[in-house]
Amino acid sequence: MTNEAERFKACAQAYGAQARHWPAADQALHAHFAATEEGAAILAAAARTDLFLDAWNPSPVERALADRIADAVLDEQPHRRRMLAWSAAAFAASAAFGFVVGFVQSPPDPGADLMTLFIVGPAAKPGIGL
Amino acid sequence: MARIACGDAQAFRRLVDRHAGWGVSFVERMVGARADAEDLVQTAFLRVWQGAAKWEPAARFRTWFYRVLYNLCMDHFRANAEPTEDLDEELPDGQPSVEDRYAALQRADRVRAAIAARAARQRAAIVLCYYQELPQADAAATLGVSEGALESLLSRGRAALRKSMQHELH
Repeated sequence: MTNEAERFKACAQAYGAQARHWPAADQALHAHFAATEEGAAILAAAARTDLFLDAWNPSPVERALADRIADAVLDEQPHRRRMLAWSAAAFAASAAFGFVVGFVQSPPDPGADLMTLFIVGPAAKPGIGL
Repeated sequence: MARIACGDAQAFRRLVDRHAGWGVSFVERMVGARADAEDLVQTAFLRVWQGAAKWEPAARFRTWFYRVLYNLCMDHFRANAEPTEDLDEELPDGQPSVEDRYAALQRADRVRAAIAARAARQRAAIVLCYYQELPQADAAATLGVSEGALESLLSRGRAALRKSMQHELH
């Protein structure tokens, strides 16, 4: 078998019987060998595999699907931003609540300045040596 | 993509309209089920919408999107050791008898099962080159292999299909 004939067979085994599936550089081989007896037999074998593959033909994709996908993606973004905003707000609220509770439960040191009281709170001051 | 990066929802809708159809077809042939395919394609478009600002046009959008979809399919296979085997195609109403339609569905299911039994890259090579009719260079780029390696994947994949389905072919 010549190099060209081997290449023809390799293409039929990889890409099937139809020339349009073959690499552009090899399509001339298809035209050349398809007319020979050996070439026709090779293509017939490849066509059986093609026929087998063609039996699986999923239902077409309806146009409304694109709208559904776009809607779902575009709706997802505000939802995620809302969730993030609510999480941040909840964290800030709980931190503020904790600070207020701690502040109220411990009487302020009369000698402490307002900024120190605000930053560390009255209960934490002895613990950090103030 | 520049307009999508600026939050242009209409531009995004046009992109989805242009690419969702072939995307779902490709992924359905990869994962074997329409519902999974739609979910994965939606995930891919979510990534497009969220990452549009970082888009660098090194390749055509379609080529790049094939790669995104292929990677999502690989993640899907890793997460689901056994792909669903449900038969959910519906043939359009027409002349074939109930028996013919049933036989066609059975045949389609056997093809799907035979393709699903191939290694993921062989399956992808067959789907990209035969069903999606991608040029060899684009299919090879999607799989991250050379064109020679792609041809080898195709040859081995089709040989295995012939072997496993001999009773269908003769």
